[in-house]
Amino acid sequence: MKATYIMQKEIRESILTPKGFLWYILTSVILSVMSYLFLTNNELSLLDQGQMLYMIMNFITALGVLMGLVFGADAFAGEIERGTLEALFLSPVNKVEIATGKIGAALTNWGIIFAISLPYLFVVGKGGQNLLIGIVYLAFLGTFLAITFSAFSMGLSARIKSMKNSLIISFFIFLLAGAPIFLSAAQRRTWFGRILDLINPFADVINTFDSVVIDSQGFGYQVARVAIICGYLVLSVWFLKRSVSRLEM
Amino acid sequence: MKRSILFLSMIFLATAANYASASAGRITVSINPPSVQANMGDKITYAGTVTNNSDRAIDNIIAYISLANITPGKEAPLDLEDWSANKAIKVDTIPPHGTYEGQWPMRLIDSGSYVAYITVVDKNDNMPVSSPMSRLEIKRLLRLNPNNVLPVAIGEPVALGMVFMLVAFRRRKRVK
Amino acid sequence: MIISVENLVKKYDGYTALDGLTFTVEHGDIFGFLGPNGAGKTTTIRILTAIIKADSGNVLIDGHDIFGEPLTVKKIINALPESNGYYEWMTGREYLQFFSNLYEEKTSGQEIYNLLGVVGLHDKEGHLIRSYSRGMKQRLGIARALINRPKLLFLDEPTNGLDPKGRRDIHDLLIGLNQKHGTTIFLSTHLLDDVERLCNRIAIINYGKIVRVGDLDRMKEKGTIEDIFFLSTKEGTL
Repeated sequence: MKATYIMQKEIRESILTPKGFLWYILTSVILSVMSYLFLTNNELSLLDQGQMLYMIMNFITALGVLMGLVFGADAFAGEIERGTLEALFLSPVNKVEIATGKIGAALTNWGIIFAISLPYLFVVGKGGQNLLIGIVYLAFLGTFLAITFSAFSMGLSARIKSMKNSLIISFFIFLLAGAPIFLSAAQRRTWFGRILDLINPFADVINTFDSVVIDSQGFGYQVARVAIICGYLVLSVWFLKRSVSRLEM
Repeated sequence: MKRSILFLSMIFLATAANYASASAGRITVSINPPSVQANMGDKITYAGTVTNNSDRAIDNIIAYISLANITPGKEAPLDLEDWSANKAIKVDTIPPHGTYEGQWPMRLIDSGSYVAYITVVDKNDNMPVSSPMSRLEIKRLLRLNPNNVLPVAIGEPVALGMVFMLVAFRRRKRVK
Repeated sequence: MIISVENLVKKYDGYTALDGLTFTVEHGDIFGFLGPNGAGKTTTIRILTAIIKADSGNVLIDGHDIFGEPLTVKKIINALPESNGYYEWMTGREYLQFFSNLYEEKTSGQEIYNLLGVVGLHDKEGHLIRSYSRGMKQRLGIARALINRPKLLFLDEPTNGLDPKGRRDIHDLLIGLNQKHGTTIFLSTHLLDDVERLCNRIAIINYGKIVRVGDLDRMKEKGTIEDIFFLSTKEGTL
């Protein structure tokens, strides 16, 4: 399938490069420091194991989202600015196939981050009761979120056609998504805070992690949040398809 | 006139003193164990006994635990937020000459020398009542490699670096 | 007829780039498409290569409607745009292999090697594109445009920035393609020397309209190609 060749090209261009690897090594170093401190630092080591697992899962998800946004911003705007998109459009590949290939590469990137995080999750969560279920939720919800934010960012990239502006808007989206974290506990309990929490897919994911890993609650408690996350996924893929179909040089 | 004022003042002071000592005598508080030696991360439970020494029931009192750090150079009262979930207990009623047993579980978060004591507040009195202090010595645990974190913390970044170098080397070989 | 364009209109934010463009190109032509800057040459090529859509009009490429069957058309055409970027982290060979994979009929490793030879890049196949000179990149772009053995090849200013030898090499390559393989070539340029050497038919576009079209030899009976060009594109002339 032609999307596979596009995906391979993207992986070679963005992932199997010194810059790509630097991201992964940096991720690994940060996770190393976090895990080591969690398990050995006087005060941090007394955090509940579930709490440690939860914090690492949040960090990995946030990183996956951020890298997805950056990836997406370059997807079409970057190729236009480098002058390489026209040759691609000259080939008998339809635009949705090109987008599919690029999403595939963004997913591969997330997959690598997830794989890098697994040893740390096992080491930090060892002996804890919600380790495996936490990893399952991270795999699924992290993937959904990676697709959602990458697709949205790619759609923006196709519409705006400027890498710089795409990136700025993508970072703004990232901050908006993380906004609930900046609210105080009291603010989050207000009607505004609750609504913001519920409609924000990133907040839905981290609240789900909290519910599963710390409070040991079952899938029944997560249904509403997971439904919202899936809704955003569908919406962002639709946005990407529409943006790319209309893309002209 | 002066003598009357002096006499009335003495009666007032005697009453107040009696009242204070009577209320101090009305409630007594004890804490157990009287001293503890433990390690960081241990969970312990303090038991507090509130005794009503009077002939009347005591209603709606509050009993809470306090900790103070007495490690030389670090003397300070302690914020128990991370240590204990159950700091203040409201007691509905203690019958005449009755007792109330309260439990204060806590997790020992930091090493050092501490004193713990339980205080009871009765809104009908003008002085709180505290138990004697229980000494608490917490030893620090040094954990260098719990859960085998070091092989992962050091090994993974190194492994990724090696993979990168391998990929870069193979590419350089293929490309002129 | 390999290209049939009828009443093509394209507007950008109120500005009319193509205003009822109409012309045809026959099989086997080396068709020169001339015009001053901003006349609509690149817009025309982009529409004929299904990169952009027109607002109205009809375009048939080898009998296929470009707006209805863009992917079918792309299988039989190819193009070298004026500003063609490259994946500079790839080698020449990897670049051609990548584009070959996007066609149903893939080009074998040997064919890619031969293609690189045709454009004079044999000894550069394993080098990163970022080490190529401008002329080498241009030749690699032509190799990419030939990867699917197109019936119709669009070239937008293919000799721009090349030295005289480079230009001559490209000319010889295009003539060879046309004569040996019957490839129709649609050449957009404002280098009149290139037109004189290569083309058998030309069209001159100005303000989005065809102002002159026909056999080059017949036009030259009336004057030099330069005179014809300037007369046709004089301000106010349509």
